[in-house]
Amino acid sequence: MQDDKGSKGYHDVGGDPAGEIPKVELPWLHWEKQVEAIRGLLGDGTRRIVSLDEVRRGFESFGIDKYNSLSFYRRRLEAMTDILIEKGIVTQAELDSAIKAGTTRWSDLDETP
Amino acid sequence: MTRFAVGDRVQVLALRKEGHVRIPYYVRNHAGCVTEYCGTYLNPEDLAVGKTSGPAVDLYRVAFVQRLLWPDDVIPAQDTLVIEIYDHWLTPAQDTDHAP
Repeated sequence: MQDDKGSKGYHDVGGDPAGEIPKVELPWLHWEKQVEAIRGLLGDGTRRIVSLDEVRRGFESFGIDKYNSLSFYRRRLEAMTDILIEKGIVTQAELDSAIKAGTTRWSDLDETP
Repeated sequence: MTRFAVGDRVQVLALRKEGHVRIPYYVRNHAGCVTEYCGTYLNPEDLAVGKTSGPAVDLYRVAFVQRLLWPDDVIPAQDTLVIEIYDHWLTPAQDTDHAP
């Protein structure tokens, strides 16, 4: 949307009708803490590998359907890996292979009696 | 020396910048009052594209009368919304809105 106030991104929802606010405390899951910890390390003042604003630019570029289908930390995680790949810090192949290795490791644990 | 001082009336620009910006749509073109100077920070519009070399820009806390932002809602007259706005998004206000 573009008018005399400029463009309004799909994430820029301040003031939009949104219905009732669900007043339930959501648990802060372990993997979500890990995402936030890694993001903090990537963005800190000595590393400056991926800034929080780059992560924001990342999920603001998802397109509305993908954006709305993901939770807060899923957005951050997906955007963070997008930016890491965009900057050539990791490759898609490295990421895929790490995910595969992790999945295998955890599946093996699940099968341990 | 900063461009604005606490108490100054300012108007938010509609800069039509593409990419990541931190100034929400609902506050653009509205006039408010500077309540605090926050210091200088790297511009998030630069950081969003990996530019970390600066320059740092001034950041202000600006208060807006809620009723003027949301004219269709029933809101107490004294209620204000305070958000932080970077210097390049502000210009001296031309309006005659009541200061919060």
